[in-house]
Amino acid sequence: MNAVKKLRLPHYLLIAAGLLVLLSLVRVVDGANDVTSSGTVEAMLRLAVPIFLAGLGGLWAERAGVINIGLEGMMILGTWTGAWAGYQWGPWIGVLAGIAGGALGGLLHAVATVSFGVDHIVSGVAINILGLGLTQFLAGLVFNVGHAKELGGGPRQSPPVDPITKISLPVLSGGGGTPDWLGSLEKHHWFLVSDLAGVLRGLTHQMSLLTLVALLLVPVSYFVLWRTPFGLRVRSCGEDPYAAESLGVRVYRMKYAAVLISGGLAGLAGAFLVTVAAPIYQDGQTAGRGFIGLAAMIFGNWRPGGLAAGSLLFGYTDAMNVRDGGQAVHALLLFVAVLLVAVAAWQAWRRSFLAAGLAAVAAVGLLVWFLDSDVVPGELVSFSPHLTTLLVLALASQRLRMPAADGLRYRRGEAR
Amino acid sequence: MRRGLKVSLVALTGTALTLTAAGCGGKKAATSDQKTVKVGLAFDVGGRGDQSYNDSAARGLERVKKELKVTTEEISAKQDEPDADKESRLRLLAGKGYQMVIGIGFAYTAAVLKVAKDYPNTKFLVVDADQCKVSGANVLGACFSEEQGSYLVGAAAALKSKTGTIGFIGGVNVPLIHKFEAGYDAGAKKVKPGIKVLPGKYLTQPPNFDGFKNPALGSEAAQGQLDQGADVIYHAAGGAGLGVIKTVGAAGKWAIGVDSDQYAQPALAAVKNQILTSMVKRVDLSVYDFVKSVGDGTFKAGTKQYNLANDGVGFAVSGGHMDDIKAQLDDLKAQIVAGKIVVPTE
Repeated sequence: MNAVKKLRLPHYLLIAAGLLVLLSLVRVVDGANDVTSSGTVEAMLRLAVPIFLAGLGGLWAERAGVINIGLEGMMILGTWTGAWAGYQWGPWIGVLAGIAGGALGGLLHAVATVSFGVDHIVSGVAINILGLGLTQFLAGLVFNVGHAKELGGGPRQSPPVDPITKISLPVLSGGGGTPDWLGSLEKHHWFLVSDLAGVLRGLTHQMSLLTLVALLLVPVSYFVLWRTPFGLRVRSCGEDPYAAESLGVRVYRMKYAAVLISGGLAGLAGAFLVTVAAPIYQDGQTAGRGFIGLAAMIFGNWRPGGLAAGSLLFGYTDAMNVRDGGQAVHALLLFVAVLLVAVAAWQAWRRSFLAAGLAAVAAVGLLVWFLDSDVVPGELVSFSPHLTTLLVLALASQRLRMPAADGLRYRRGEAR
Repeated sequence: MRRGLKVSLVALTGTALTLTAAGCGGKKAATSDQKTVKVGLAFDVGGRGDQSYNDSAARGLERVKKELKVTTEEISAKQDEPDADKESRLRLLAGKGYQMVIGIGFAYTAAVLKVAKDYPNTKFLVVDADQCKVSGANVLGACFSEEQGSYLVGAAAALKSKTGTIGFIGGVNVPLIHKFEAGYDAGAKKVKPGIKVLPGKYLTQPPNFDGFKNPALGSEAAQGQLDQGADVIYHAAGGAGLGVIKTVGAAGKWAIGVDSDQYAQPALAAVKNQILTSMVKRVDLSVYDFVKSVGDGTFKAGTKQYNLANDGVGFAVSGGHMDDIKAQLDDLKAQIVAGKIVVPTE
């Protein structure tokens, strides 16, 4: 294999632009306007944020060398505490309570794994069970009685929480009664122009303030972890805690801080679910997003930007699934077929003929399917997010490197 | 150190298991002596508090408790549980000496039929019996003509739509929910042949029943249909409908509720003025009828049909948004009852 060239920002922008042109082409060919509509992009953001926040929680913990498989449990704790505080004192207090609830789960994980040296997976699984059981128990105790029940609570759900304010950019996306330029541009369904308008409008129209906070966490996390002394210490604990110790870093303290932040972020993901995605806490609401967040983190190579890209991909396929479904996914068949043709050409150029052949066969198969049908049946549409996850992880797992001491037991003062 | 490790592990697992067990328990009945009549009711996914289907059943149970003076116990179903859990839940109720056991939702059909054989002295009711078929001398299946009620709200949707586009959101892609869509579609086209009914959106595919309880899914699907120009959206998605109604209401369009009169549901109070009507499905009536018939000895095994003729289904008029078209709908209703209009179910 030849030396892997490092991709930089211009490359990523070029790739994104190329994909948008291709999507636009596909949309025009199939007439599936939902592929790049602002509504789809808005939904993508809403669906991606909980996955992203959970993944960011995983990133913080694993950068400090603690595997956090208990994200799901911490997220569940966040949904419950978020809803409990949210329905009484408003959504923002709910968000803070959600962070606190998740951080509590993080603290438990830190005590078990850092202080007592418990296996990270065992502790994480225990927290998942604990989070689910505890919230079910508390929901029956708190939401099914008195005032909460009158407001619409029950043993499996909380009373409704007020939504967090949504904002739109003025002039471009119609915020505050100003004209909606991008919206009118999008309605013409012109090639590329309308697609670009749709995507931009989706990113600037009716965005919840909490979504904005989540988006800001990408640069903030990057800055703190890679540009501050604190971040350097945290990461050194994940790469080589003994070396860090010899340089005077208080490894236990760093790990505690990182796992607490990790729990808090997972709790924030839970709070997002009850204040933005759905207006209530519900038993089983997280639906495995904590684990998908971990997958997105791995896809993103333990970096915030890559994690965000992975979450958006899951969010996009999920948006296709829950919105229009059939027709839009049908257009994506063509999209994937074209991509596969490109992969086949690339592999053939690299003289890896088996891979090229497989990709070409898959491309032809998808093309035949595309030409032969008008919509994709609902059963397959609901499967598409999972299929994408599988494909992308399989293709992207070539260049990944996790923190060197991730998941290893560390004892202060011991030799290696 | 090793001791500390062990202690923490034991403590963690111990608490986890205790709390999980505690989370599974249902609401316990009040103290009861041998003579009182006891009714056990098992909810479908979503459970009490879904503001829709299960809450309709809960209302029936409350009424039974108040008017017929019986002791009741209710248990909610868990997310993604296997059929064996449903069966053991019913067995638990029957085994504890409950004279009447009620399963809410078609998913209970097989479990009820199986358990009923082992408890011949207990009477069973399954609401929305699968394919409307039950067997056994102690089993009653309640079936509803949802397509008839949906026909009327479909007509209402078409009459109230300004954009000429209306939408339907179903919870899970199962035959039962297809009846809602078929009736809605037919009713809308009857009063306005040119109306555009968007293809029905089903939130999840079986065996994933999340579509009956997850409001986030309902919310996104409703946004999708609003973006396609729909200004009246009818949902048959149980608890997930909460998201549909909130999203449609926030956009200032009309939502149509299902099963309960959703205008009166506490969790929807903030958007109730955007709830045009609800397709009321009297699950509460079927629960009440069943308990009453067992109580006065008129219980008959088999199936019982609830339709427009016996007001087992219908439409709600709370809020007064239907006042101007109510006469027209009552006329359609009379034609269905008289058999002049046959509403399709597929």
